[in-house]
Amino acid sequence: MSSETKQILTTDGIPLELSLKKAERKNKIKAFLLVTPLLLFLFITYVFPIGEMFTRSVDDKMVTNMLPKTFKAMEKWDGKELPPEEVFAGFYFDFKVLVENQTQGKLGQRLNKEKNGFNSIVKKLMRQIKRNKIDETVSIKEQIMKVHKRWRTVEYWQAIKRTAPPYTMAKYLKGMDMYFAPDGSIAQVDEDRRIHRILWLRTLEIALFVTIFCFLMGYPIAHLLATLPMKYSNLLMICVLLPFWTSLLVRTASWMILLQQQGLVNDFIVMIGLVADDNRPTMMYNKVGTYVAMTQILLPFMVLPLYSVMKTISPSLMRAGKSLGGTPFVAFWKIYFPLTIPGIGAGCLLVFILAIGYYITPALVGGASGTLISNQIAYHMKATLDWSFASAMGLMLLSGVLVIYWIYNKLVGVDNIKLG
Amino acid sequence: MTLNSHFGVICLYKLIYIKRLNGGIMRKLSKLILALSFVVSVTSSAFAVTVASWGGAYTDSQKQGYGDPTAAALGIDINWVDYSGGLSEIKAQKEAGAITWDIIDVFAFDTINGCDEGLFVKFDFDKDFPAAPDGTPASEDFFAPMPSECAVGNILYSWNYAFDTRAFGGKEPKTIKDFFDTKKFPGKRAIYKSALTNLEIALAADGVNMGKGGELIYKRLEEEGGVERAMDKIKELCANDNCVFWSAGAQPPELLVAGEVVMATGWNGRFFNAEVGEGAPIKQVWHGQGLDYEYFALVAGGPDEANAKKALAMMTNTEMLAGSAKYIAYAPYRLSSLDIIKANEPWYKDGKTEMMPQMPTSPQNTKKYFLVDPFFWADNGTEIGEKWEAMKAGL
Repeated sequence: MSSETKQILTTDGIPLELSLKKAERKNKIKAFLLVTPLLLFLFITYVFPIGEMFTRSVDDKMVTNMLPKTFKAMEKWDGKELPPEEVFAGFYFDFKVLVENQTQGKLGQRLNKEKNGFNSIVKKLMRQIKRNKIDETVSIKEQIMKVHKRWRTVEYWQAIKRTAPPYTMAKYLKGMDMYFAPDGSIAQVDEDRRIHRILWLRTLEIALFVTIFCFLMGYPIAHLLATLPMKYSNLLMICVLLPFWTSLLVRTASWMILLQQQGLVNDFIVMIGLVADDNRPTMMYNKVGTYVAMTQILLPFMVLPLYSVMKTISPSLMRAGKSLGGTPFVAFWKIYFPLTIPGIGAGCLLVFILAIGYYITPALVGGASGTLISNQIAYHMKATLDWSFASAMGLMLLSGVLVIYWIYNKLVGVDNIKLG
Repeated sequence: MTLNSHFGVICLYKLIYIKRLNGGIMRKLSKLILALSFVVSVTSSAFAVTVASWGGAYTDSQKQGYGDPTAAALGIDINWVDYSGGLSEIKAQKEAGAITWDIIDVFAFDTINGCDEGLFVKFDFDKDFPAAPDGTPASEDFFAPMPSECAVGNILYSWNYAFDTRAFGGKEPKTIKDFFDTKKFPGKRAIYKSALTNLEIALAADGVNMGKGGELIYKRLEEEGGVERAMDKIKELCANDNCVFWSAGAQPPELLVAGEVVMATGWNGRFFNAEVGEGAPIKQVWHGQGLDYEYFALVAGGPDEANAKKALAMMTNTEMLAGSAKYIAYAPYRLSSLDIIKANEPWYKDGKTEMMPQMPTSPQNTKKYFLVDPFFWADNGTEIGEKWEAMKAGL
């Protein structure tokens, strides 16, 4: 409102602008209250767990609190050779408290994640202490070193030192096959243990190809669905949706029966004489199997967004294009295809994001290449209980997806996504 | 917990519907439902013990073999729920302060981890578990000592291998060496997707003396270059796409029957089901088998710890454990249970199959075997797992 115009008043003398704002505010609060449950829901089920995941992935306070004397003594140790007597003594007294509280098991678990082999030597030391075998009046270093040869190995003490800071990015480094070397620099793990980078690349590769295959197959299907007369398209729609109603494992197992070397497809091509009986191609328990099974399972997620977008495109547009002199291909490429881009974007993102977190199907049909990064996350969640590493990898996966989303936004624009 | 959730549901119900309708009948009805839900939840949770196990034929054998008889004898309900292994769920329940399981059926590896993490109750075996019928204390009646104080033995199962009887025309593989001998027995093999037990059989096939219960195998594996030697043997076997890696227990017999592989490692109970139950053309080889254990653990602070402890003691006594072998080819953990089976053959539920030859622990099957060492895998599992995946990626 410009100041020169005279203020308009309502009947009770309040400026109209104010009273309008008041009414607006009420509406705004009402609207906000209406979405509060949803916001709360989003916060509880989304923001909070992701925050929790992040704290978990960097939080390493447990050991810091368990071994205060050890880390105090370690400050002076350069980490190159076996630590001096004070460190051993500090560790011994810290550890004794843990044994008294019966929490030494947790320490063994945690240290075993840092360096394999800790679990059993922590237990061995615990038994020695319980039996009062350690004489506190003479050198504790000598006695601990006698318990097991690993206590004489500097790598194990370096591993303890690595757990000193209460917060650490070590889990993220581990997810990239790297670690903090004793001198504080970042180093690569031994070559025969560099597995995570392979798995990241493999996961990306499979997700990318499955998305491409889904697009190549889903586009014509969606087009047919959108253009066929109702009575045919309904039937086709059921065919697309049918896999949705079948268990994931059933679908995966069916592909195994179809594609294995002694399977139906191979039997058929041998029967018609396409290949020799002793030269059957392997289409299962390798990447081919993974691509086929995953493409079929994720296909509906590509078809449905595409279909809903194509349904809104008027057939007269194509006719107009052709009547203006374009060949069918030019009309398709210049008119139809650009109009379907929102659907393509939605479908591809949907399939890609689902594929990147997939692991049951690849584990069953992928053979030697069936392990993906999600398997590794599940393994650390369930078997090793290394939840902080699982969280770190989960967040790395999430940020990977966000980066792809960002690239997509730059290239195509997120406003262009349309699910229907 | 059940109370809370019922209360929550009903409150929500009241809020949404009653405020809007505000009718007398609705209000009365909602009160009735509320009261009912309390009654139902109280009665159903007061004397019920919840056991989490793996599901399928295995849980059926547990339920029929000792779950239901124990429930009847003690007058408590025993609910069986399925889970897919690992300690993540119970750890999450504990962290959330809402434990819903009393007993879990777990691997040796998990009992060690769970005990260390303080998830499970520690036992005094001779006090907490009944002696054998002849008076042998429980701790001496177990086939092997428990890997941790938090575990009580349930069954022993075997990682053995089976072959397709149609594949080699008369010739039959008999040893673990034969499994790795692709010249004498050409054809594809199926092995487990991760390193567990594969490294052990690889070393045994490479000529390493197993020693009593496989002790020497684990000694070699802990030595410098031991793991690499085992992996080289696997690489040799699996070169040229010669291996299928299975992940679900149902796969090995399926792969054999379909003719996809000629030999497969797997769990003896699954092979037994295919061979005896369905008459599949396969045969098991016990030479070089790995004996593995399955345990029960009592959850610390579970909903009904006292009753759960009682039920657990009963379920793992001599007669009860023998009962489960009626339904599945896994060996009861108590030695005295085998006597019951022996004395009452044919023990299998079909009334004509003798179970002793199918038991992984019976003498004719334990001529050459190793006990899967949970401590070795608890110590080295992660690192070996990484090496194993790297090896597989290079196949």
